[in-house]
Amino acid sequence: MAELNQSGMQCAEFEALVAEALDGALHGSTRAAFESHQRSCPACSLMLEEAKAGMHWLKGLDEAEPPRHLVHNILVHTIGALPSDHPKPVVTKTEGWLDRLKGRLSPVFAPVVTPRFAMSLGMAFFSITMLLSIAGFHVADLRHVDLSSKGIVKAYYSTQARVVRYYENIRLVYEIESRVRDLRKAATPPDKQQPPAANPQPGNDNNQDKEPRKQNYNRGNSSQPVLAGPPRVKGEVKHPVKYVLIPQARLNRRTA
Amino acid sequence: MDDTQAVNALVKRCVAGDTAAWQEIVQQYHRRIYNICYRFSGSPDDASDLTQEVFIKMYRTLATYDTSRAAFMTWVTTVTRNLLVDHFRKGKYDRVTDSLDATAGNQEEGPTLAERLEDPSASPEARVQSQQAQKLVHEALQKLSPELREAVILRDLQDMDYKEIAIVLKIPEGTVKSRINRGRTELARLLQRNYRQVS
Repeated sequence: MAELNQSGMQCAEFEALVAEALDGALHGSTRAAFESHQRSCPACSLMLEEAKAGMHWLKGLDEAEPPRHLVHNILVHTIGALPSDHPKPVVTKTEGWLDRLKGRLSPVFAPVVTPRFAMSLGMAFFSITMLLSIAGFHVADLRHVDLSSKGIVKAYYSTQARVVRYYENIRLVYEIESRVRDLRKAATPPDKQQPPAANPQPGNDNNQDKEPRKQNYNRGNSSQPVLAGPPRVKGEVKHPVKYVLIPQARLNRRTA
Repeated sequence: MDDTQAVNALVKRCVAGDTAAWQEIVQQYHRRIYNICYRFSGSPDDASDLTQEVFIKMYRTLATYDTSRAAFMTWVTTVTRNLLVDHFRKGKYDRVTDSLDATAGNQEEGPTLAERLEDPSASPEARVQSQQAQKLVHEALQKLSPELREAVILRDLQDMDYKEIAIVLKIPEGTVKSRINRGRTELARLLQRNYRQVS
């Protein structure tokens, strides 16, 4: 096919001119050479005929009609608004306040009120409901909640007390407190440590516990519970002090 | 004010935030973009989705349009074509490789594509008028490779000149002509394997 034809035109040159020939854009000697090659080369002649047929088939295709809501959808997805040729909702005197509100809000929420958004909202609601259900929260329980000021204050203090109690009962907290106390004791130089008590307590003959006791509890082997309270200082005004009953086992664990 | 100036003014208004200008652009170009997408993807639903994506992309990148580089129509077509190519690369619109002997829906019985086209009663132009023929040509177009398909769509369906097509496809003008020629030839062979006489 790449042979030089008697017209002086090669098949490759012919092929390059087919598109222009079909547009009717060939003139003069080029056109004469093209036609001459076409007559003398059956392969190129066939190719020209096929290209011509293909062009006719394609040109015969009608323009496809876009869907009716395409423009509307495009505008909603881009500027989030309806086309200007769409009639805006007219507020008449017969309309109620709800209709007027709807009329004003609908253009604002148009990009939000879409099936995709509704689906996301539904999924979010479902997830939250499931989480609450797993956490043991029931909407029906809200009926029993005391929402008076007294009830709220009571709920606040009881919750606070519950939290403090929980915190104090954590073993980790005990251990950390114990370690901190040990570290503080180790970090204090021996000369700064308080000298042995001048008047040792009766029953403490070996003076092992040189640190003054700040808590009024006995570390003996007694299994009786003791009362713990703040130390009393001379000259201090006596206030009513609440004493807490601490089981001996817990005290032993705390000081271990 | 000629068309180019009017379009450029419209684009400027749109970039400045005039929503009415954007609506006008959408009204003016949605049909063209939809048709390119439809002829390339072959499906009305895909074409609708792709057209929306094209406009969303255009809306975001409209400020980057340089009026001195190309006509707005060429820019719009380039955006469309790039998006179609991206989708094609993802494998969404893979080339159909059915032969002419394949039947519709791969059923064992039923006419093949070649048999359905064997209606020698009219010329190609007359036959293409019918809905059935339109469908067959559209189906045959989907069987072309994407490179040939996009070239013939832009030339024969969108009436773009070779220079504009070369800008859109980012290939030399000679290659554009070659692809158009090959696309037309292959389409004709697909459609009328048994025909040699074409008016």
